[in-house]
Parts: sequence; C-alpha cells; structure tokens
Amino acid sequence: MKKILLLFVSVLCTLNVFGQTDAKLDYSSVNSVTKVGDTLEVKFNYFKAKDANGADIDASLYQFDFQYNNKLLNKISSTWQPTSTSAQKAINSWNGYKFNPDSNKDVDDYDGQYTYWLGSDSSYPTNSDWSVERITYQDVTALGDGSEIIKYKFIIKDKANSNYSNYSSILNANWVNLKKSDNTQIGVTKGTSNFNLSLSNIEGGDAGNVTLTILSNIIDDNIGDGTHFTYNVYNKSDIGAGNQVNEGASAVATGTYDASGQAVVTGLENDKEYFVWNYADQSKDYMDNVVTVSDLALVFAEAIGGGNSPNGSTTTFDYYIQTFIANIFHDEAFDGKIDFQDSYEILAYLQGVSSDNTTYITYKGRAIQSGGNESTFGTIDENGSYFAGIDATFKPTDSNKSFNFVHALMGDVNFSHSWEPDTEGTAIPTSQQANASVARMSMAAGSKFSGTAEEANLDLTSELKDGLVEFTIGSQVEEMIGAQFNIIYDRTRLVLDNVIFDTGNTMTNFSNHIEEDGKINIGSFDQNFEATVKTGTPYKLIFTPIVQLQNTSGLITFKVNEGVKADGTQINFIME
Amino acid sequence: MKKVLLLLSVFLLVGCMDDDIISPIDDIVEVPESLQIEDVQGLKVESTIVSDEVRMNIKLPYTGTYRVKIRDISKNLVSQEKLDANEGDNILKVYVSSLENNGYTLELTDDNHDIIGIASIVVNN
Repeated sequence: MKKILLLFVSVLCTLNVFGQTDAKLDYSSVNSVTKVGDTLEVKFNYFKAKDANGADIDASLYQFDFQYNNKLLNKISSTWQPTSTSAQKAINSWNGYKFNPDSNKDVDDYDGQYTYWLGSDSSYPTNSDWSVERITYQDVTALGDGSEIIKYKFIIKDKANSNYSNYSSILNANWVNLKKSDNTQIGVTKGTSNFNLSLSNIEGGDAGNVTLTILSNIIDDNIGDGTHFTYNVYNKSDIGAGNQVNEGASAVATGTYDASGQAVVTGLENDKEYFVWNYADQSKDYMDNVVTVSDLALVFAEAIGGGNSPNGSTTTFDYYIQTFIANIFHDEAFDGKIDFQDSYEILAYLQGVSSDNTTYITYKGRAIQSGGNESTFGTIDENGSYFAGIDATFKPTDSNKSFNFVHALMGDVNFSHSWEPDTEGTAIPTSQQANASVARMSMAAGSKFSGTAEEANLDLTSELKDGLVEFTIGSQVEEMIGAQFNIIYDRTRLVLDNVIFDTGNTMTNFSNHIEEDGKINIGSFDQNFEATVKTGTPYKLIFTPIVQLQNTSGLITFKVNEGVKADGTQINFIME
Repeated sequence: MKKVLLLLSVFLLVGCMDDDIISPIDDIVEVPESLQIEDVQGLKVESTIVSDEVRMNIKLPYTGTYRVKIRDISKNLVSQEKLDANEGDNILKVYVSSLENNGYTLELTDDNHDIIGIASIVVNN
C-alpha cells in the first residue's frame, strides 16, 4: 500500500511539474531602423510562469544576461521601466566577452543556461566584438505579466568598419535567473516577439573604397591618358536642371584619375545617390584637334539631310547623342535640331573667324564637357530627351562599389576624343535614318578613324629652299571633299609668311593661324559634297627663318591629318 | 735656268686653279667624337635626351636627296624633312621645341623611304 501511495504522489508531482508553463523573457525592437546612425530601441519584457492550474507564479528576483555586438551597435542608454520604489536594481556591463552556451541545452532554455553558467568557468570567453549586460531586479512586489523591465538604446554602427557583412546577429539573451521569494528557481524560456533580433536592409554608412572609371577615346587611342581627367562628386540633391550644380553647392569628393582612367574615391556613403562631373584637362594641346573637318562634314550632312529630333522623320547620324554633341549653336533652348547655323559656326571656327555667337565648340582652353554612365550614355527617354543619356548618377551599395563613366566633348561629332556609345538603345534605327539620296555620313566604317585608311598618298615634308622653309603637303588622294591638317611650327625659329592653296577653284579653303602658339590649321571643304581637293600639292606653307638654319628637322610637326570623301568615308592618312 | 722656269710655271699654273680643287680640305667635315659613325652610312645623335635642339650626324653612301623623319611611340609620322646632302658625314640639327615631351624615333631614309639609320630621342623641353 505504501508503494501504491508513493507511486500516486509521484505521479501527481509529475503531472504538476508537467502542467506548469515557464516564464518568458521577451525582447524586441520598439522602433524600426533603416539606416546607419539610426537609434534602435530594445525593450525586455517578462511574462509570468503558470502553474498546472494556470495560476501565476510570481517572482521576486529577475536577473538575466544579454549580449550585443559592439561593432554593430553603440550602446547609448538604458532605462528601467518598473516604477516600484521598493525595488533594488543593478546593471553591470562588460566589454569584450561573449557567452559560450551549454551545447547540451537549448540556447533558449534560459534557466538551464543559467545553471550551466553558474558551474562553468569557461562560459564567457573573451571576444572583442561583443559586450555583456547583466540586469538584476529584485522586489517584494512581483512584476505583472508582460511587464517591461528595461529599455536600451543603441546607435546603428556602420558595418563597413567591422568584419560583418550584415546586421543579422546583433543582440541576444544568454541566460535568466528567475526566482520566487522562497528562492525556488523558475523555468524561463524565450518570448514570442522578434526574438532573434536582427536587422535587414540597413542602408547608409561609409561606402569605403568606391572605384570610378572614366572611358574616353582620349585614353583608348593614346591621345592622352587617364591623368588628364578629374572628377567632382556631388550629392545628387545638389544637381539641378540640365545636370548643373546648384549655386552654392560644393563637391563632396574631388580628385584625378590614374593613367588607366580609374580613381578610388573614399568618404562616400552607401545607399546615397551621387552625381559625378568628369572633366578633361582643357589646357591640353589636343583640345584644338577635337573639332575638325570630319565633324564639320557630319554636321553639314545632317543640316542638308534635314535631320531633326530622334523621333522625327530622318537623320543622317548613327547615334542619338550625336545630335546633342553637334548642337553647338543654341538659337533657343536645346531643341535637338541641327541646322546650317551649327555647321557654319564650325566652319567659322575652323577658319579662325570669331563669331559673335556663343557656341559649344570645344577647343584648347574651352572644353565643353559632357558624359554619363556607360550603360545609359547616348540613350533617350520616351519623350526623346537626350538628358536621360548624359546622367552620371551613381549610388554605392554593399554589392556595387564600381562605376563606369564615359566622357564626351561638345562638337566632337565623330567621337575622335569622346566615347562612342556601344550599348543598346543608343543607335538610331535604320528606319529613322536618311535614305540613300541624302548624303549620309555614316560613322559605321570610319568612326574613331580606324575603319578605313588610305595609305601613302600623302607626303608632308619641310625643306630649306633659297633661305626659306617650305612645308608642302603632297596628295594623290582623289574624291576628297574635305581635308584638314593641324600644323605646329617652332615659332622661336620660324615666322609664317604665306599659305598657298592649290585645291581647286570651288573648294572653300580655311586657315586658322594661332601665332602665339605656333599653330596653323589649314584645310578645305566643299559644303555641296561635290568638288574635290586637287591632287598634287594642294597646300604649301612658307616660313622665314629668324635664326641661321642648316636644315629643318623637327621645326614643323603635324597632329591632325584627315580627309573626308563624298560618300562619307573618313580617311586616316598613313604616311611612310 | 730651265728648272727655275719650270718651277715658276708650276707655281703660275697652280695659282690659276679653282680654290675648290686646290682646297679639298674645305669639304671635309669635322666630326666630333660623339657623332662619329664607323659604318659607311648611318645616323647618330649627340644626346638621346634632347631639349630645344640636338646635333646629329647623317652619314650617307652618296650625295642625293634624303629624308629625316620623326615618329611617335605608335610610329606615326609627326615630322619630316627632305634635304639634299653630301656623301659622307653631314652634321645637322634636330629641333624639338615644337614636339611634346615624349619618346620619339628618328629615321634617316633615302627618298624612296628605305631606312639608312635610326635613333631614339627623348624630348624633354
């Protein structure tokens, strides 16, 4: 009978134990955070244990440890929530430790982990990334069910300065020591809220090293190198209409690209939009070679062909962006129309004639710069706006810190010193291009002067003759409706006396002598695309030496030697 | 007496001859050691690094028309002189003020563009 009673009592006790429910420690964020620098508020709530009958089990000691990642969170405050005046409260803090839980127990078995901690001398190994907070609250008056014990505030730190790639592990409870007034341990487990507190999609923070790459034919064709380009990075919010920088705004980062055209920019923030203005050094001599007779021919053809807006009837251009670059005279707000005013302004520029008009022609000392993202440069939007294609906005993120930008110079219609678009949506569909009856200056074969080359029919020589220095351009090239030669001479030893043209009766010849630089650009162009430059010696320059000379080697050099045929073929002369 | 007259005649004859014939030394170019070329033809510059100007020797196999070419790093022709020069050494100059600071090759060719000599220069104005 004794045995039966003992068994009965044991069963009752067992039923009683299994009928209890543990208390819960619940912690969750009070507010939502989205970016680095935001304040995260975390509350710790206590839910009472229940006995087998569902009655509350009150506690008098509430003690728990939690830990937070000090590389991702910066603790700024803690605030007790109970208002009892009889309570005793304590907060202890340790930096550089992380709880090593009992692997034989569930990590959410808080009272079990507490027991383990009590008997272990290795439960808190050092770890510089973590800090431990110990909360102790003792009161004769039990806390109510769901009571908030304490609130903590943390600042979200930038993970870029840590070894962490996300905010998934920032805070957790380690153990709980919950006791009744008779010092009996109460079982405690996890709460039901956002228990494993983690944050996702945190934006902002130091973007670290952001790599910008500038693309231009100045670099690709070895006209110059990347060090000839600088960048000014602005907050996107400081960019106004026409991609112009708002008055009073200043760049957040500036610098020079390296020779390869790359720059590593620091000091930018993740998930923030920026806009970069890239500048080619306008003091470079080759800026005088940007706009030439080849560009003139393209613009004249477009004016003759009645080219108009991208969505208009026809155009002679191959790319939408050429209209933007060729529109060097704005008779009103940019309208995307190329007319004879644009072509005559370029012709006047090549002739060295000063125009009263403000034009957007690039030359040494005045480079009119444009460009955009490589992926969108030269595209247009649904309204036909070219500005969609010259947008240089970028936003560093965790997954993207490298951005390619292209550079273009106004007036450089054939992209000799600019970036020729190569992405989808930049080429004008054939259906919008002019028909065969219109002189169409196709870029397809001769863009960047690499597609078609005429060989050896040109002979440029200097010679000492009868005390004068003669520079002659001998040409056997036929069907050339335009030609240009940019020549530099040693002005410390030579004075230009005369320019002799023998190009034919109907050609429009031009010479632009920039005496202070020792430069002269000469050439010819037939705007009707009919007459051609005579073969023989179409151009001759006569110089008088101002010092005694035995010979002329190096006294006269030439940079640009290009021609255009009536069918639009651009000629890259190759001289022996 | 005959000998005296003969000697006098020789002196008179020599006195009437063209200076060029009697003074071949005038056509002999003094070649500084730094520009001497041992081969029968070639091109030599006095200094590889050049500012403003540098002397060069073009040594030619025969008198005629030749070309001195300057090419950039891509071997594009950037300057060319055509000149008539004598067989042997010709001390001339290369002027580099109008060239950008860079490395160039100097080529000596005949009028048919066949290379006779080549040298490297670095312009450092």
